Amino acid sequence: MKALRLASLALAIAWATGPLYLLLKISLSPPAEVMTAHPTLLPHGLTLEHWRRLFAAGQVAAPLVKSLLTASLVALAALLLAAPAAYTLARLPARWRYAILLGLFACRMLPEVSLALPIAVTFLRWGLLDTIAGLALSHLTLVLPVAAWVLTTSFLTIPRQIEEAAAIDGCSPWQTLWRVTLRLATPGLVVAGLLAWLFSWEEFVLATYLTLGAKTMPLQVYYYLYQGNWFLTAACAVLMTAPVLILSALLQRHLRGAPLAGAIR
Amino acid sequence: MRLRSLLGLAPIALYLAGLTLVPVASTLWLSVAGPDGGFTLEHFRKIAAHYQFGEAVVNTLGITAVGLSLELALGLALALILATRPRGRAAFQVLLLIPLGVPTVVAAAVMRSILGTVGYLNEALLRLHLIHLPVDWVGERTLAICSVAVADAWKVTPLMLLILLAGLEAIPGELYEAARTDGASRWRQFAAISLPLLKPALSMALIVRGVDAFRIFALPLALVGQSFPVLSTYAYLEYLEYGNPHTAAASSVILLAMILLAVGSYLRLAGPEELLR
Repeated sequence: MKALRLASLALAIAWATGPLYLLLKISLSPPAEVMTAHPTLLPHGLTLEHWRRLFAAGQVAAPLVKSLLTASLVALAALLLAAPAAYTLARLPARWRYAILLGLFACRMLPEVSLALPIAVTFLRWGLLDTIAGLALSHLTLVLPVAAWVLTTSFLTIPRQIEEAAAIDGCSPWQTLWRVTLRLATPGLVVAGLLAWLFSWEEFVLATYLTLGAKTMPLQVYYYLYQGNWFLTAACAVLMTAPVLILSALLQRHLRGAPLAGAIR
Repeated sequence: MRLRSLLGLAPIALYLAGLTLVPVASTLWLSVAGPDGGFTLEHFRKIAAHYQFGEAVVNTLGITAVGLSLELALGLALALILATRPRGRAAFQVLLLIPLGVPTVVAAAVMRSILGTVGYLNEALLRLHLIHLPVDWVGERTLAICSVAVADAWKVTPLMLLILLAGLEAIPGELYEAARTDGASRWRQFAAISLPLLKPALSMALIVRGVDAFRIFALPLALVGQSFPVLSTYAYLEYLEYGNPHTAAASSVILLAMILLAVGSYLRLAGPEELLR
């Protein structure tokens, strides 16, 4: 029984990690190993040629910058907009709080295409297509409910008595907020910010609707894939996945099933 | 005082009103707006007659059914194994959760190199002498539906695992002790304790994942291509390839209705208290 369990775990881990191994391998393999009727599973030769070509082509720098800036802007704006809401929600009676949170959760269930279409039509008129600001604005619509949700659970863990004690010790309301509440909520703020960043970094649907020429990283991967260039696809995909794996490893300790379920996709 | 204390909600409320409610309302309007500004059902009639729309509905439902069953079976099995706390569980968990972080379009790219005609799956099967000719896993429609479902399951099974594991761990251990004392078999313990108490977590997982499966977009587009429509990509192609916002809106409205219908009837069956707890 125990052996069976371990065997299935090993199999599951191979299934979870194998595809990423293949991706990395393709990005480092000589073409003859991949572009054949019988691709090899183990690496025989290694080459950095594809990586050199990825950067030499000069196509990847602009998407990289655009995605980095958009994701960072989204993370920052999400915290600024969602933190006051979450703080308010955490201080509301539980019934109200859950009603509002459920409403926010419902916003996350709308199909992206039904939001993207009118947003694209409007942004075309406002000249916001192909801009970082426009993309960030649209990403925020999907990120805000999640950020508010995460931050509310985080503010809920801060007892009111601590704030009251700070006030008695002579802190003004702003000082209390800045020195006490926000300090204590830092882990939650970091988690919410990272989730927002990750969401924007890999977002595909809205980026497709709002992009004419200035691609983001996911669109660049899709472009190489569409062209049928395996090696540039693989290298670009690895480049895009690396920061994600690092950040989500940092996040994992904080991920606890149900409340965050809507956050990750 | 009461109103002032709600002030913090204002920015997010304004934002979501402007960039969520207004767009959804205008999608609804676009789907029924006639050329003279009046009301018409012409756009719905048009897509209903379009063979690709029918295909999109079937593909979406197929991917959802196959994908959810796969994810649920795999996620539950893994959650049950991890709940027994094997040695090295933390490391197992980290490795098993890796695909969750992988961007969807990257997952599609990887899966295309595995599932293509000269892909790694065919190569492995040929070497094991399980097949004699390479199979095009994303060619024929039924196979393509299964391939997309498998690719989706690869990425999101870890999420199922997380939710179900949290649910399993919330079940008090004394219940199992009592059952063992009464001589209940492992299977009986699972059926009489784990499964019923896991229902809220299962509901949560099914709703979250079901909605996402209905909305699937990047995976079928990048893995199979434009010739394999699902509801989201159908709406996208109608707008960006054929320049018709009205039929695009109509098909997104149908997608929205399907989501509401599915979630609503599930909550009706399972009881809303399952979700709210």
